[in-house]
Amino acid sequence: MKKFELKGMKFLVLVIVSYIILFFVDYNNALVSIDKFIKIFITLIPIFIFIIILTALINYFLKPKQILKHFGEDSGKMGIFYSLLGGILSHGPMYAWYGMLKDMKSHGLKDGLIVTFLYSRAIKLPLLPLMIDIFGITYTIVINMYIIVFSIIQGKIMDQYMKNASKD
Amino acid sequence: MPMMISIIGLVGIFQVYITPDMISKLFGYSVLSDILTGTFVGAIANGHGSLSFIIAKGLKAQGVSIYALSTFTLAWVSLGFVQLPAEASMFGVRFTVIRNILAILSTILITYLTIITINMGHL
Repeated sequence: MKKFELKGMKFLVLVIVSYIILFFVDYNNALVSIDKFIKIFITLIPIFIFIIILTALINYFLKPKQILKHFGEDSGKMGIFYSLLGGILSHGPMYAWYGMLKDMKSHGLKDGLIVTFLYSRAIKLPLLPLMIDIFGITYTIVINMYIIVFSIIQGKIMDQYMKNASKD
Repeated sequence: MPMMISIIGLVGIFQVYITPDMISKLFGYSVLSDILTGTFVGAIANGHGSLSFIIAKGLKAQGVSIYALSTFTLAWVSLGFVQLPAEASMFGVRFTVIRNILAILSTILITYLTIITINMGHL
């Protein structure tokens, strides 16, 4: 199968073209979109800085061998635990973390642990009071337990799939 | 970085055209339809997680089912169609497709299991 790659610059050009078209078709909403874009970007700057620092620290302190040990094929339960914890504690949008995960993947991070990390991000600690307010405490506890369980299951399935695919 | 800027650009457009008012009109037909709509709309909609709960609170007041609210809020924070190009570019198309299918199925199953578990506790 031919590997599909979407280059960042091409995608950026596509988005810029969309905005230009929007300016001609729906000028007012185009301005609001630009305004939202700027606000989101400013909001994300601290998160980006945090992730860049975290990536640098991981690269400095965790050598490829250690990443392989903690998050590689033989990382076992501790690998799952670290991924869950990382996912639950991580802030900001999912896409902000892709760069760091890709970097760790190039040093041996398992696909399954990426999946576990990304899904466990559904547990948002700062939003728990809001969740309890709307759904109640029982629902909040039960659904978050299931999110943890399904984050692990998804990771296991992904690893198994990748293992089978590499055999073919 | 160009990919990140592109995704934020798309999020800006999505937030303008997919409004809470538009979302609220999609629910309230049947449990199955609410679950599917909740998952799909939650995956398309974008913004801070707290916004999903604020919308959910409004939907709850309108009598929308717990199935819809649950899948909607869960899909909002765990899925994101707008970031699919970035995910595919970073981890590959196969990984992205499998992960998102797993996430969609999990979102639906988690909703069912959560509600079944709570109802069992009430027996």
